[in-house]
Amino acid sequence: MNARSHGRPARLVTTLVRFMADRFPMHKLNVEAMIQKKEVPLHKMSWAYYLGGLVLFFFGIQLITGLLLLFYYQPSVSDAHASVEYLTRYVPGGALIRNVHAWSSSAMILTLLVHLITTFAMKAFERPRELTWISGVLLLLITFGFGFTGYLLPWHQIAVSATKIGLGSIELLGQYLPGSLADIPTRVKEAIQGEASVGQATLSRFFAAHVVLLPLAAFAVLGLHLVSVQVHGMSQGVDVPSRRTERFFPFFVLKDASLWGVMFFVLVALALCVPFESFFSYPLFEPYDPLGSTPDGIKPEWYFYFVYYPLELLPFWLVNLLMGAAVGVLLLAPWIFKGTSRKTLRMLAAGAATYLVVITLFGDAIYEMLKGGH
Amino acid sequence: MRPLALILLLSGVAAPSAALAYAEFQKHIQATSGRNVNCAVCHAHGDGPDGVKPGQVGSLTPAEVDRLNRARIAFEPGQTVDSPILNAFGNHIVFTVGKRQLLALKNDPGALAGRLQETDLDRDGISDGQELRDGTHPLDAQHGDPWKLMKVNTRRYGLHLVLLAVATFLGLYGLGHILRWFGRTAEAAMQGLRDRGRDEP
Repeated sequence: MNARSHGRPARLVTTLVRFMADRFPMHKLNVEAMIQKKEVPLHKMSWAYYLGGLVLFFFGIQLITGLLLLFYYQPSVSDAHASVEYLTRYVPGGALIRNVHAWSSSAMILTLLVHLITTFAMKAFERPRELTWISGVLLLLITFGFGFTGYLLPWHQIAVSATKIGLGSIELLGQYLPGSLADIPTRVKEAIQGEASVGQATLSRFFAAHVVLLPLAAFAVLGLHLVSVQVHGMSQGVDVPSRRTERFFPFFVLKDASLWGVMFFVLVALALCVPFESFFSYPLFEPYDPLGSTPDGIKPEWYFYFVYYPLELLPFWLVNLLMGAAVGVLLLAPWIFKGTSRKTLRMLAAGAATYLVVITLFGDAIYEMLKGGH
Repeated sequence: MRPLALILLLSGVAAPSAALAYAEFQKHIQATSGRNVNCAVCHAHGDGPDGVKPGQVGSLTPAEVDRLNRARIAFEPGQTVDSPILNAFGNHIVFTVGKRQLLALKNDPGALAGRLQETDLDRDGISDGQELRDGTHPLDAQHGDPWKLMKVNTRRYGLHLVLLAVATFLGLYGLGHILRWFGRTAEAAMQGLRDRGRDEP
């Protein structure tokens, strides 16, 4: 019995093994390939090579500050808000740690988005880096999951109300599905929510997801991403390969570390001088009261504006279709844009970046203009 | 006597179960600051004094009703009050301007902030009057106009920031030396290994 005798299944396995062998050339996992001989191309887009490391740095900050917050946070609807208040007002350094966590989460998502866009523009998803790209997209989705689950934990007005709206939108999908499929979104919502309305079961589930499930998923996918990055090195990034390179170790690593140092200073300075919540109206941060009035200005975090404002302005089904298509295109980008030039990719990336910037900064103004207020 | 009777009626002495939140101030703050505010600027409960929840008139014990009534007749400034339906800032307003002037200021709500320029109850570096103008909470040090907080805190933590910058710079300087040393040493070690491999038959 040889592989040929099994016909098509054997060919599929062979193709898969070859695919994986190309994507994970494990013979390159050695000091010589990863450190001694690793070179980083120098060209006009070289700055983008630092973005992935910067995301990793912010992720590390999130882990450390998150662990510190865990010492005081109580994941129950009766104590969650009070524990956060206690931490902020009375624990030495508590406000600083909480603000670093808040600022760093936004910085991480911003850097991750810029990393994704520049990686796309540089066509760094080309063979053999398809899995690096796909794992990166998965990390983006996991990070959004961190944002969504973490938002609920302080159990204040905006947290609970925004989560209700977010979970409610899952249920709305049911009306566009045929037959018994229509029940699936409701069941998914109930599974996430854990009870009839957003309550203790929801908080427990979001807490478990935020501090256990998502970090485990992030570690697994991040491990794959980093191994893939290490064995393949930096992508070419530009059409004409640069003749100028610099050694990865110690020169690139040193610059990377310097950037981390500067960012650490900026992060602590921001957290010390500008409390994150000062940008919002204070009624949004009062303890959630199911019988009280809902304050104005309930919105998701800024990094969900790209989907929030379209949902406010366009038909629900259309926005979901577009977002689903966008995720599909992102995941399949290495194959969809296989033959596309970097110039075209740069234009597409610039378009996506412009959309994200405009909708994030001016989404509210656009909404006011088109709909005349909330 | 008619104005005094009117004030007494408005201040609720005659009927302790009915209380009044002064919506004029809230509307003025929202209109001028652009921020949403609720009754919790001055009141113990965000929905105001009417109701049966903690901090609202319907939940008060007889002793708390006494405290409420004493606060309601603090017509002149300088009287320390401890109204259970007001928070520390609300009580501070009554102490600073007195109930009589407060009622008069309902016709000119913007002037109230000017009377509160001297105090900063949450010690965040922004006066209570300014916080009232900005629509931020005067009892929450984490809440204030972001740019004003940045200016105040940059001055307040200036030394900390300088020390942090120096520590970061020195840390990176040291790390740079360690990395370069490590690179050279590792290179020499690898070269040694390669040489040994060549020498061996």
